[in-house]
Amino acid sequence: MPADSLHEQASTSSAGLEYHTAQVEVSKLKRADADKVVLRLEGVDHTARPTWKLRETIEFYRDVLGLPLVHTISARGWGLQDHADFLHFFFDAGKGATIAFFYYIGTDQPARYVPEDHYFYTATHTAWSVPTAQELQRWKTTLESRGVVVSPYTRHEILESIYFTDPNGYPIEIALRLREVEVIDVNDARLTLEAAMQVEDELRAGGRRLQDIDTVWRRKAKLVEQMLSER
Amino acid sequence: MPYVLDVDEFRPIVESARRIPECTISDPVNGYHKIVSPREIILRRRDMKMKPAVWYGLFTGGLNGEIAEFNRGKVPVIGAKRPL
Repeated sequence: MPADSLHEQASTSSAGLEYHTAQVEVSKLKRADADKVVLRLEGVDHTARPTWKLRETIEFYRDVLGLPLVHTISARGWGLQDHADFLHFFFDAGKGATIAFFYYIGTDQPARYVPEDHYFYTATHTAWSVPTAQELQRWKTTLESRGVVVSPYTRHEILESIYFTDPNGYPIEIALRLREVEVIDVNDARLTLEAAMQVEDELRAGGRRLQDIDTVWRRKAKLVEQMLSER
Repeated sequence: MPYVLDVDEFRPIVESARRIPECTISDPVNGYHKIVSPREIILRRRDMKMKPAVWYGLFTGGLNGEIAEFNRGKVPVIGAKRPL
């Protein structure tokens, strides 16, 4: 189907800008297993963040990291009132994915967009993959030799990662997948989150809140025991 | 006591428990080992050669027991004083 026909066939029911502000009430949405339509994604197209450091961002990603600049959009706003003119530019991140930035011309960085040294802030990041341990090592040693401060290697279960920050203060993770996920991982993931949702719902109903992971681990043990007894 | 998912990153827990005489470790059933002990067991990070990010998720397989203290190097686990 040609992409142009997407617009012609589009329903107008969700048109407008309500999607910018609407609160999604998840409990009222239809479930995927109700209509049996399977939606799938196929990797990353791009990530995007704002920058107020045009030259430093271009020089860091293109000239220091060496990621090719592959596309730039320059525009007088988006046709909306109060929208700054901007540059939107994309660096090649492999497998068709790109790392993108918006530079909003003539604007100042609001204080709430200044990166913070707190895990609530750094939780928002993208991990870019490398295929081998040798490549991960090449990233670490090469960036360090170029003067970038890189974290120690960090292993978390199925990933080995390094971290560094860009000139905007945005965290970047480079990750090596140590093994494929298997059926038992999928089952375990479901049980852990089911345990967490159960105890959180129960505590909330009593006006309390979930305070620790031990409570989740205890419920998880109960769910695992139930699963094993049902065999 | 702990349930341990039978995957590479958590297998050191099972191997460490095998060296504790009182511990009984079941073969994996539906992907989980069950470790049982009549008294406190102490797991040590150094024994398991475990990186911190995995260590602090040690009991993600489930824990029917109480964590007496969880620090960077060791964690004593005692039997549950209350039902799950």
